[in-house]
Amino acid sequence: MISKKLAIEVLNVSLSTGADYAEIFYEDSHTNNVSLENGKVETSSSNSLNGVGLRLLKENQCIYGYTNDLTKKGLLALANSLNKSFNGKQIVFVDHLDKVKAKERSKIKTDYDTVPLEEKIALLKDADNEILKLNDPRIVRRICSLNCWHRGVAVFNSKSKWFKRDNQWATYGVAVIATDGKGFEQGFARRGCQDDLTFFRQGDADIVKNANKAAKTALAMLSAPECPAGKMPVVIGNGWGGVLFHESCGPPLEASAVAKGLSFYKPEQVGTQIASKIVSAVDDSTIPYGWGSIDIDDEGNPGEKRVLIKNGILKEFMVDDFNGRRMNAKGNGACRRQNYRYIPTSRMSNTYICAGKSTREEIIKATKLGLYAVAFGGGQVDPSTGEFNFGCSEAYIIRDGKVCEMVKGATLIGKGFEILKNIDMVANDLDLAEGFCGAASGRVYTSVGQPTIRVKECTVGGRGGELK
Amino acid sequence: MGKYDKFFASAKEAGIKEIELYIGEAHEVEVELFHGEIANYSDNNGMTVVARGIFSNGKCGAASCDTWNKEKAKYLIDEIVKNAKVIENEDPVFIFKGSDKYHKINTYNKALDEVPMETKIAKMKELEKAIKAEDKRVSEVGATFFSQSNSKHTLVNSNGLNLVQKSNYYYYGAEVIASDNGQTKSGFEIFFENDFSKFDVKALAKKCAESATSQLGGISCAPIKCKAVLDHDAVISLLNVYIGHADAEQVQKKSSLFAGKIGEQIASKKLTIEDKPLSKNPFARWFDDEGVATYNKPIIEKGVLKTFLYNLTTAAKDGVTTTANAQGAGSKKSTGPFFLTVKPGKKSLHELFAEVGDGVYITGVTGLHSGMNPQSGDFSLQASGFEIKNGKKGKPFDLITASGNLLEVFKDVQEVGNDVKVSPNGTAAPSLIIKKIGVSGQ
Repeated sequence: MISKKLAIEVLNVSLSTGADYAEIFYEDSHTNNVSLENGKVETSSSNSLNGVGLRLLKENQCIYGYTNDLTKKGLLALANSLNKSFNGKQIVFVDHLDKVKAKERSKIKTDYDTVPLEEKIALLKDADNEILKLNDPRIVRRICSLNCWHRGVAVFNSKSKWFKRDNQWATYGVAVIATDGKGFEQGFARRGCQDDLTFFRQGDADIVKNANKAAKTALAMLSAPECPAGKMPVVIGNGWGGVLFHESCGPPLEASAVAKGLSFYKPEQVGTQIASKIVSAVDDSTIPYGWGSIDIDDEGNPGEKRVLIKNGILKEFMVDDFNGRRMNAKGNGACRRQNYRYIPTSRMSNTYICAGKSTREEIIKATKLGLYAVAFGGGQVDPSTGEFNFGCSEAYIIRDGKVCEMVKGATLIGKGFEILKNIDMVANDLDLAEGFCGAASGRVYTSVGQPTIRVKECTVGGRGGELK
Repeated sequence: MGKYDKFFASAKEAGIKEIELYIGEAHEVEVELFHGEIANYSDNNGMTVVARGIFSNGKCGAASCDTWNKEKAKYLIDEIVKNAKVIENEDPVFIFKGSDKYHKINTYNKALDEVPMETKIAKMKELEKAIKAEDKRVSEVGATFFSQSNSKHTLVNSNGLNLVQKSNYYYYGAEVIASDNGQTKSGFEIFFENDFSKFDVKALAKKCAESATSQLGGISCAPIKCKAVLDHDAVISLLNVYIGHADAEQVQKKSSLFAGKIGEQIASKKLTIEDKPLSKNPFARWFDDEGVATYNKPIIEKGVLKTFLYNLTTAAKDGVTTTANAQGAGSKKSTGPFFLTVKPGKKSLHELFAEVGDGVYITGVTGLHSGMNPQSGDFSLQASGFEIKNGKKGKPFDLITASGNLLEVFKDVQEVGNDVKVSPNGTAAPSLIIKKIGVSGQ
């Protein structure tokens, strides 16, 4: 840790040539990853991350640098190197630092470091045994892994604010690879939390239950036909299905794209209809123990529940203070980064489409011929054009209002702003799922989510010819 | 006494029989220009220290950190011991003593450091202006980038190995948005080198502008299976996943599509794919991440699979010599090519179009992490491209998917172009004619 006294000195040296804002981001994190392959512990490794990122702003300019030399000499050398970008006089002075007070919604209960490695391995072994119990010779690889991360952060900035943040995250992954001698298929399950590891023994997050599901998906995929291609109605499942909104509409609603006019959504569209009237969506950093939750963002602003879209009307963007300068807007607690090596910017946290009034059953029943996309492997979007793509890891054909055969290799492509207008049914079964989002400020923890929804028409890519 | 001898001695006291340190040190400068002004400037000094050691139980534990001091040295040793104690994998592990001979290659260009930062930034401003001047339909240059990285990596171990390689490179790039008739398209291009004199502002500006403007006025595409020219960018994307199947570990774990196929014709006779770590370019690596001397080798020669890619562990399991393709740090090394190349043919891109007659020209594929099943090789990817009509490049397509299977695509190579492009991920490939590929769009 660095003392407040040293932080004040570093901030003043950073500001001495005319920067209008300076900020020290101190990080001390450590991780432990353990993985099993076919029941045996294959790797176990530990990582420690300890450094400082220093950010100087002057109007619309950002100067950034990081160092692992955390001595007074090292930090002042960094400040003196970065302040050379400006040649004016000091206009902002720091003489004290006040602690930012925020609600602690995800307070650490049991430090993952105090959980014996053997206990973490036992969790994975239970999942592996469940797959083994299926006793199916087509399963050739079983990979189970657990990643635990403890992150300590302290931020000191020239607005005389300082705060500490202490969080921990854990995530497991189960991958099952099956072969029929001709090709391979994979089933995959992942869950994550900021809560105790016992979370992975319960309900929908139960590792054993999900390992069984992943194995069965891999096996079913072996005999599944290829997904047909073309335009069709697509019903998107709850939870993971939220990756559609995350990929297609999330990045264009972040100030990092909006501020420079690089998003297809413009600030002047706030208050206008951008989605179907039955669509409301939020980005909420305040969910207790939520995967993407933070109490205070990297600029010292408290985490918020940001209403992005209400009844189809664009309400607000996810904004950080720096990009907010170009938009005449204040940061709303969305500023994050992967670690001290990244320049922070506005990012999603827990982003989801709100529950509607239909039921899942009603939506399926109302669909004559189309695709039911249940789970996804991820995707990407170009915020300037809205073009997105994402691959389905579990999908079925709907015929005459019934879920029929499983298909493999389905990809959904389209333009986010068109999809939002094309949502014609929203169910009441909202669920969230934990993932990662990669962008300019690195890979951050984000939840996606939605209830079951239907998109009237979407382009589906696949190798199975026309849908009949 | 060596710099790390004390650390090695402490490790031995803790029961670690052999230990290795991988130390990466990098100085990176990144500049982003927006509307003629510097929007972001970052100047970073970073370090990565990865230690792995064979504990008295014969298992290999690993730990890493980003600072080198007494406290961290102790952390590394404690964590190696803790981790090694739980490992159950029975694969042989090695801390390498060193190869007899290394073919050293210089990957550090001192002249690049001598070019003043002002000159480097001035070129960015020129680039931004040149892109705007290139085409009226360029509506915005989102960001213009310059990045330079100087790095040094050291591999040192308690068996006497001590290898150091220094390298540097830079790149320029820009994100471009083009608009016309209410349609918006974006593009991105970069130039990567370690010789500053090779940077041509105009040439890059033209490519950047075209990457966006060429997609305007797109037409729809009904689902078809047809002959295609796969542009070098698309080839590079697919090739990296394809060659992943040459990883001996995947073969040994029964999840490679290349398993049992050494000596077999797995691809078109027109196709030769090599790993050339001893090329004279910024990608050159004269020792791999286990410290073994690297060498150039064909992976697929005239369509025949010649070798898998090995590290010391997977080679020992197969009773062969390592191909010196160990990559990464940590208790287990993965394998991969250092400079993957497709041997070029003689025909130009225009001659490839002429040979196809009517078909599609795929200029890029995206979404590999979601639309590619790396296990089966099946893919259905968002793509950009053009129609090929009467032997010439025609209109662009608006939002299409390209689908196929990797094994089939590389079996179906009809012709290899001469238009080699080197990508910053260390892959060089020309455009290819593929006999059949699935395309579908709106």
